[in-house]
Amino acid sequence: MDLRELYQEVILDHGKNPRNHRFPEPYNREGRGYNPLCGDKITLRLQLDGDRITDIGFIGQGCAISQASCSTMTEALKGKTVGDAEALFEKFHALVTGDGGSGDEIEELGKLAVFAGVREFPMRVKCATLGWHTLNQALHDEEGVAKTE
Amino acid sequence: MLRYATEALESVPGVRLIGTAPGKVAALSFLMEAAHPHDVGTIVDSEGVAIRTGHHCAQPVMEHFGIAATARASLGMYNTTDDIDALVRALEKVRELFA
Repeated sequence: MDLRELYQEVILDHGKNPRNHRFPEPYNREGRGYNPLCGDKITLRLQLDGDRITDIGFIGQGCAISQASCSTMTEALKGKTVGDAEALFEKFHALVTGDGGSGDEIEELGKLAVFAGVREFPMRVKCATLGWHTLNQALHDEEGVAKTE
Repeated sequence: MLRYATEALESVPGVRLIGTAPGKVAALSFLMEAAHPHDVGTIVDSEGVAIRTGHHCAQPVMEHFGIAATARASLGMYNTTDDIDALVRALEKVRELFA
């Protein structure tokens, strides 16, 4: 398959210049994600006001896919409720693992739909979902580190 | 063969070899300025070249160099200089894509 399907312009752009690559101040939730197999590490912080994510940012290092995924995720989640975020994660996960995902669902993903090419590269699914697993951990205030292994 | 591969990789702009001790085995760990090792791995794979990427179960050494991962080409007795040339061409693809 064409590599451009995987490395879409949006992914290359966000990989090079991640958005929200800073910690929000104040913040009241933190998640740490680590992929021990590849060494990608991210720390995600967000401000939750009631049920709504009012600010979100991350600091970390990793490949273009993982950085771009965190970057687009933080863009997509600002102002969303926890329920919205969880629903989005579910759709995103289906998109990158290839478990269906109807046209409507892909439309709801908006910019996140550029990650559809990842499903052709099973090795890279974990790169694309690291940020989302870390979000899950931050929202549920679980101890420890979210691992994709 | 190792000398050929070392010179070939050094000729690619933005490539930094990690580990250049004399008498080392024919494995070349390297970083590319343009892209993360995993992105390098996926792209050269699509060009038909198999390398390994990641920390290679050598985290203390990775820490020593202050890096998270490298790309690594390992040569065997079955490899030829054509294979090295194919790798170099694939790395040029990486530079193109991530330019």
